[in-house]
Amino acid sequence: MNAVFALGLAILVVGVLSVAFVRPKTYIARLINLEIPGWGLLLIMLAYDEALALLTFVAVTAIGTFVIVRLMEWRDASC
Amino acid sequence: MIPEYSLGLLVAFAATGIAFYALMRETDGLHRLLLTDLIEVASLAFIALIGTDLAEALILPGLVVGASELIALSEIYRVKEGYTRPPDAGLRIEVMESAPAILAALLVVYGIVLSGFSGGAVAGLGVIFYFLCCGHAERFALLETASGYSWVLWIVAFFIFMILPQYWFFAVMLSGSAILVKVMAKMSLIGTMRGGPNA
Repeated sequence: MNAVFALGLAILVVGVLSVAFVRPKTYIARLINLEIPGWGLLLIMLAYDEALALLTFVAVTAIGTFVIVRLMEWRDASC
Repeated sequence: MIPEYSLGLLVAFAATGIAFYALMRETDGLHRLLLTDLIEVASLAFIALIGTDLAEALILPGLVVGASELIALSEIYRVKEGYTRPPDAGLRIEVMESAPAILAALLVVYGIVLSGFSGGAVAGLGVIFYFLCCGHAERFALLETASGYSWVLWIVAFFIFMILPQYWFFAVMLSGSAILVKVMAKMSLIGTMRGGPNA
């Protein structure tokens, strides 16, 4: 089996566990841990040569992080 | 020895199961939003496992819909919880004054070289970054006009493909640059989401 593919699957599972059962349970810790399963997915895409999907996933992840951080900023300003 | 696809499918099922279990146990709204993002990542692994051009064709719209869904849900959550006061000016560090122009220019130029959908995404990221760091005296009407004209050019390129197929190279260039402008204009709107009267 392809080493990149195996590594991607392993990182995906570890990342999902780290986001699902996050310690300490804060928003920012969960947001940072969310990058780990993203890496696993990127490695799986890399193993199958899906360059376009990979690039778009990177761009969309950047936008998603920005949207959530913005929501946290509004939350801090209002609380 | 288990075949590669079956193993991947098994792992993806396990990951999605764990993610849904965590979502079931969670009660806080913002945590649930983050877990929805996690489920999106875990489920995209299913599609990525197909491993052909079909996978790319399925992943691209999935990602775009996922991004717009996240934006819409975050706005709904913000209004529902009553977070109405806009945040302060935010991070004011030196690199945010000097870097944006250079980085945005590099990204936009690289996006124009790439052209097409991914080029539009790269150039759009550059514009988002610039708007985020350097304020946004944006003119929505101008952005919408550019976006509309590029849509028309895209359609014209398709007519050239059908009616005058011998000019296919011109049509490829036309549609590539038109979709570049279109995606870039739409993405740059996200960079202006900082509060204020329009937000």
